[in-house]
Amino acid sequence: MKYIPKYLYTLIMCAAILSSCVDKQDFDQLDNLNVTPTAEASILYVETPERIINQVSGTNFYSQTFNFDAFSEEFFADNVLDGVVTYEVENTTSKPLDITFEFLDDAGNSLDSENFTVNAAPTAILRREIAYGPAGRSLDIIRNTSAIRVSATNLGDNTSVSTLPNPTVYLRSSAKFRIGLK
Amino acid sequence: MIRNLVLFITLIAGYMTIHAQNKEVLYDFIEIPQALMVNPGMNTIYNWYAGVPLISGIYVQGATSGLTVNDIFAADGLDINQKVRDRALNSLSKRDEVNGIFQVDILNGGFRGQKDPANFFSFGMYVEGYALNYWPKDLAILAYEGNADRLGQRFDLNDLNTSGQFINVLHFGINRQIKNNLTLGARIKLYSGIVDFNSTNNSGYFETTVGQNNLLRNTLVSDMRLRSSGLDALLDANDNGGGIGSLLTKRGLFGGDPGLGFDVGVTYNLNKQTVITGSLLDIGLLYHTSDVTNYTLEGSASIEGVEIILPDALSDPNADFWEDLVNEIEELIPFEENSKNYVTFRPIKFYSSIRYNFGKQGEPTAACDCDNQTDSGDRSLYYLNSVGGQLYAINRPRGPQFAVTAFYQRRFAKVLALKATYTVDKFTASNIGLGMSLQAGPVNLYIMGDNLLAYGNIADGNYASFQLGLNIISWERN
Repeated sequence: MKYIPKYLYTLIMCAAILSSCVDKQDFDQLDNLNVTPTAEASILYVETPERIINQVSGTNFYSQTFNFDAFSEEFFADNVLDGVVTYEVENTTSKPLDITFEFLDDAGNSLDSENFTVNAAPTAILRREIAYGPAGRSLDIIRNTSAIRVSATNLGDNTSVSTLPNPTVYLRSSAKFRIGLK
Repeated sequence: MIRNLVLFITLIAGYMTIHAQNKEVLYDFIEIPQALMVNPGMNTIYNWYAGVPLISGIYVQGATSGLTVNDIFAADGLDINQKVRDRALNSLSKRDEVNGIFQVDILNGGFRGQKDPANFFSFGMYVEGYALNYWPKDLAILAYEGNADRLGQRFDLNDLNTSGQFINVLHFGINRQIKNNLTLGARIKLYSGIVDFNSTNNSGYFETTVGQNNLLRNTLVSDMRLRSSGLDALLDANDNGGGIGSLLTKRGLFGGDPGLGFDVGVTYNLNKQTVITGSLLDIGLLYHTSDVTNYTLEGSASIEGVEIILPDALSDPNADFWEDLVNEIEELIPFEENSKNYVTFRPIKFYSSIRYNFGKQGEPTAACDCDNQTDSGDRSLYYLNSVGGQLYAINRPRGPQFAVTAFYQRRFAKVLALKATYTVDKFTASNIGLGMSLQAGPVNLYIMGDNLLAYGNIADGNYASFQLGLNIISWERN
C-alpha cells in the first residue's frame, strides 16, 4: 500500500501529459487553395521548301485545315484560365510571303486569325505572342477551337531561288496555358 | 464514399507512408503479453494469458516527416497558397513521408506447455491496415506549377511511391527457454490480404526542351505501374450500396490473397543483470491473386506538336495529323490494364535492445518460479529498475529507416510497471514515450503513447502513436 500515493501521482502525471491539445486549425483554408499549373507545349509545325512554292502555279501555294482537338478536350476547355500562343515564322526563301493562322470551330467557322507578312530572305525571324484570357482575346476562342487552318500566299515569283542553303519557310507555334485544377 | 476516401488518402495525405511502426514502448515490456508480438523470443513470465477479444491490443500510429498539419492548416492568417509553396513544394524532399497504421487484435492468447514448461505457446489473430506515400516532389511541382518556363528540368516519375495494405493475420508462436540464459522464439503468420495497392519502383521522367523543329519538345520516358487487389470489389460493393462487411470478412478469413510470414526473436542474459534481445518480424510475403487490377504506362515518346513537312505531308490529302499524333503517342506509351497476379513482401522489422536491471531486489512481480532452474532466465522482475537502449530498423522502398531509443523502466511491486522512452528517428528527435502496465489481480491493463511533448499541439507533431489493451493473466505456473 505504500506505493499507492506514487501510483496516483504517476497516473495523474500520465493523464496530464496524455491530455492532448490542438492549436486552432482552419481547414476551410482549403477553399482558398489555388492549384493552377501552367503547361506549355508545341502546337503546329509546318515546313515548306522553296522548290514546293516554285512548283505551285498561282500565289496561294498552300492552304490546309488540320484537325486539332487539344484545346476542345473537356478537361482543358473547362479549366483553362488564361494563356499565350506563340508564333514564329522563319523565311529563308527568295520570296516575300503572307501566312495566316486561323482557329476554327466544329462548323469550320473562323474564330480567330493571325496574319504574318514576311520579307524575302535574308530577313529576321518573326515572332509574335497572342494572349488569351482576361488580359487578351476571349478564351472562348481557345475553348471552341477544333481545327487550325494555315494558308500561305507567295507574294513573289515562282522562279527565283534563294542563295541560302536549303531555302525553306518554317512555321512554328506553341501554347502556354494556365489551368485551374482547383 | 470509399472512393472519395481513397482519393483523399492518395491526394490529400499526398504522401502517406507507413511503417515507422516502431513499438518502442512495448518492446521488451515483459509484463505485457503483447510484447511477445514484437519479440517472440521474449522471456515469458506467465502461465497463460487471454486477451479480451477486440480490446487486447489496439494500436494506432501516424507520422510525418518535414511537414505537419499545423504547418498548413494553422489559423495563423497566412495565405495557404504561400504556406503550401514554402513549406511543402520548396521544402519537402522525395524522402519525406507521412505514415499511418492501425492494428487491432481480434484474438490473442498464450499458454505454457504442460509437458515441458520451458515452452510457451501463443496464438491469435489481428487485422492491420496502412497506407503509405512518399512525397512525390517532382510530380507535385508539375501538378502545382506545371512545366512552363522549366526548360531542361526533368520531372522524375520515380517520385511516385505509394502503397497500402489491409490484411488479416492468423499467427501461432512458440517460445522456448533453451538454456538458463537463452530464450528463443518463432512465430508463423498466415496472412489473408483484403485490400492492397501499390505503385513503387517507378522510373522515367517528363521533360520539356527546346524543340528540334518546333519551339518546344515534350519528352516522356515512363516505366510506371499501379497494382491493386481487392480494391475494385470494395469500390463496387460500396457503389452497389452494401456488402462491404461481408466482403471484408470473406477476404479476411482466407478468402483473399494468401501469404506466409515468420517472426523470430531471442533473449540472452549476459549476466544476472544485463540482458540483450533481438527480433526480426514479418519475414514474409503475400501473393495477390484475387480481384487483381494493374495499370501500366511503359514506353517513351517525344513530341513537338503536329508536324507537317512538305511535300511528304501532301501525299495523303485526307490525313488527320492530330489523330495520327495521338495514336502514335498511345502506341509508344501504351496505358494498359491487366490482371496479372503479383507478390508483395512484408516490410521486415528489426528490434534489438540491451537492458541493465538494478535497484533493490524484491520479489518477482508474479508469484511464479519464472525459471525452470534456480538461477536462470530473465530475472528482470526481481529488480525495481531497468535502463537500456533499443535499436529499431525497418526496410523501406527508399532504404532502411532506423530509430534509436533509450529507456527507463520502473516497477512498483506486483501492481504497476512504467516505462519511459526517448526515441530519435527521421520524424522527430524529441520523442518521449510513456507506457504503463497495471495489474489488478488477474486483470492486466496497459496503455502507452509516444511523442508526448507533441501532445501540447498534436497538429504540430510529426509522430504519434497510441496503444492499449486488456488481458487476463495467470502468473501461476503449474
